[in-house]
Amino acid sequence: MKCLRALLDTIIPEDDFPGAWEAGVGDYLGRQLASDLAKLLPAYQAWLAGLDDEARVLHGADFAGISPRQRTALLMRIEQGAVEAAWQIEPAPFFRDIVEHCAEGFYSDPGNGGNRAGIAWRMIGFEVSG
Amino acid sequence: MKVTVSTRHSDYDAIVIGSGAGGGVAAAVLAEAGKSVLLLERGRDLSFETVGRDHLRNQRMAVYGHNAGPDIDGNPRTLEAGSFPIPVGEALGDLRLLRPHEPGYQNNAACVGSGTRVYAGQAWRFMPQDFRMASEYGVPEGSSLADWPIGYEDLLPWYEKVEWEIGICGDHRTMTHLPAYDKPYPMPALPLPHKSGIHKRGLEQLGWQWLRVPRLINSVPYNDRPGCINCQQCVGFACPADAKNGSHNTTVPRALRSGNCTLRTEVMAERLACSAGGRVTGVTIIDANGQRQTLTADVVVLSCGAVETARLLLNSATPQEPTGIGNGGDQVGRNLQGHYYPGAAGLFPDVMFDGVGPGCSIATCQFNHGNDDIIGGGFLGDEDIVTPVTMWKRFYPPDAPRWGIEAKRFMRDNYRRINDVTGPVQEIPSPAARVNVNPQVKDKYGIPVAHLSGATHPETVRTARFMHERAKEWLRASGAIKVWGQPPPRYLSGGQHQAGSCRMGEDPAISVVDPFCRVHSHDNLFLADGSPHVTNGGFNPVETIMALAWRTADNIVAKW
Ligand SMILES: Cc1cc2nc3c(=O)[nH]c(=O)nc-3n(C[C@H](O)[C@H](O)[C@H](O)COP(=O)(O)OP(=O)(O)OC[C@H]3O[C@@H](n4cnc5c(N)ncnc54)[C@H](O)[C@@H]3O)c2cc1C
Ligand code: SF4
Repeated sequence: MKCLRALLDTIIPEDDFPGAWEAGVGDYLGRQLASDLAKLLPAYQAWLAGLDDEARVLHGADFAGISPRQRTALLMRIEQGAVEAAWQIEPAPFFRDIVEHCAEGFYSDPGNGGNRAGIAWRMIGFEVSG
Repeated sequence: MKVTVSTRHSDYDAIVIGSGAGGGVAAAVLAEAGKSVLLLERGRDLSFETVGRDHLRNQRMAVYGHNAGPDIDGNPRTLEAGSFPIPVGEALGDLRLLRPHEPGYQNNAACVGSGTRVYAGQAWRFMPQDFRMASEYGVPEGSSLADWPIGYEDLLPWYEKVEWEIGICGDHRTMTHLPAYDKPYPMPALPLPHKSGIHKRGLEQLGWQWLRVPRLINSVPYNDRPGCINCQQCVGFACPADAKNGSHNTTVPRALRSGNCTLRTEVMAERLACSAGGRVTGVTIIDANGQRQTLTADVVVLSCGAVETARLLLNSATPQEPTGIGNGGDQVGRNLQGHYYPGAAGLFPDVMFDGVGPGCSIATCQFNHGNDDIIGGGFLGDEDIVTPVTMWKRFYPPDAPRWGIEAKRFMRDNYRRINDVTGPVQEIPSPAARVNVNPQVKDKYGIPVAHLSGATHPETVRTARFMHERAKEWLRASGAIKVWGQPPPRYLSGGQHQAGSCRMGEDPAISVVDPFCRVHSHDNLFLADGSPHVTNGGFNPVETIMALAWRTADNIVAKW
């Protein structure tokens, strides 16, 4: 969970608006992995394990234990497929999927569990009436 | 043609199957003419709350499901693998097995009103040239391009009826691509959003025609319902003000108010019932409890949408018509078409978004016809308000950052600055683009499902590429500082604008229905939906579907 939270907050970090976790993307993902995306649960687990391994190989600490700057640099390398650890799952393509799920949680309607109280919509200026 | 009333007493004068755009009209016209009508619908009657506002599960953005049916489980179709550019659904031998919300399935909807429950309500008359495409352009090799057996003038009285009785807003003076209107629209155009004003100036700068997009929306209170409150969640959702005019709040209630119509929902028509002589006598249905029942009627009207109407005919084989009713010429299910939707997106220096829905207000018909070596064309219009997650998935620049603080900043700075323009391309029909049935795969009722195969004619792809370039030109003229997008590849089209699968014509060898949409081989079986369209115009089809259904139903009544 710590790893997932650190990952989501690196994908959509906090600035003067909340990051992914505070906005509820973790809840969104939790719901999805128990329903529409249930088939992906093992892949998520394998990928997150790979991420921790990668952080340990490079920085001697798991992903949640390294600095935000190091996390970003690590994900940029993963995006390129440049990894050191022994991953159980192809790291780059699944990272793209995770980014997509994270954006779904953040930008879709609050009814899906993320975008808590419409915070992402307020940030970008999608005003809802009616 | 004369409808002969059977001597045996039937359960109903007429059974209309499907309560969407065409079926709603047919039921209303027949019931108001005093006929006893049974209107059957496989879907449910959906409330505003049930349709909901899920941005990942709606008829516009169906990532994990949708909101207007059919149910995700128990309603599969199969697709020839080559009919879609990427693998979709699940593999089933050489085929793809699809669920209703998955790409390639060619879904519209299944509920009372069908697509009209959640549509954008863009309301277009086809142009006179759209009814005579073969005469205008010749027939390209490998295509089944043909003229309609009727013309614009034949449909005109019913276009006007749809405009006035179902309710369309617009500005007829701007429809300069059409012959002059005899009657204006009954309601003025919707207010012009800020961004549409900018796109209008872009068109003026290019010297291209512009018009105010007519819509099946009450811009002011009309027909005892309120006017649009300009919300931001129109296309793909139900209307919070009940100002969007679909079958569910216009024609179906009209049919019911007449006292002559019974609506039955969650009832699936399995096959047409026929006498020993092969004459259609009614329909066999299966209800939500799995009960099978045969109901009789003097007249049967199929309004199941282009894919399901073809499926029902093919699933209704008789000794007289062993390959399916109306299929003597091997035409049922061929020429399936919809609309390619080329377009482009652009980034603007200033904020475009002002939150005034629905959004699509300005269009140009500069390129529907008369494009040098292109066959036909299409209109281009600005877009309804795009939800944030749809922006992210469909209109986000391909080279913009996707994660990290830069991605968050990009959405924050530019959601209100990105705009797209797009429009439907008149497809060039291919006889190989086809609905068949797959006896190996059954739906939850045990009925063989639709099997889809083939692809559109290559000329469609060429037109789409041409229109894609025009879209980019328009965006630049409107002031975009960056434009992006790709023209679509070749695939099987149908989807929400599905049409053409049971084409209309004089000659039974190359058509399924006559010029009044009566199945050639039957005196009491009619089609009232998109399936008879010979071609589908460079326009959203629903006003034409409604007008044609109205003409068909009026004619049934006149000759009864
Ligand atoms: C999100 C969205 C936006 C759209 N926007 C526009 C627009 O702006 N302008 C426009 O022109 N068009 C638009 N459309 C398309 C429009 O809704 C369709 O063109 C129109 O509804 C098609 O009419 P039809 O009569 O051919 O079939 P449908 O309206 O699809 O009706 C068919 C009905 O038959 C029922 N049915 C099928 N088989 C059976 C069976 N065996 N037994 C019982 N019932 C059955 C189905 O459940 C369905 O309700 C949109 C559609 C969607 C989904
Ligand atoms: S934009 Fe108008 S017509 Fe469309 S859903 Fe909102 S209120 Fe209804």
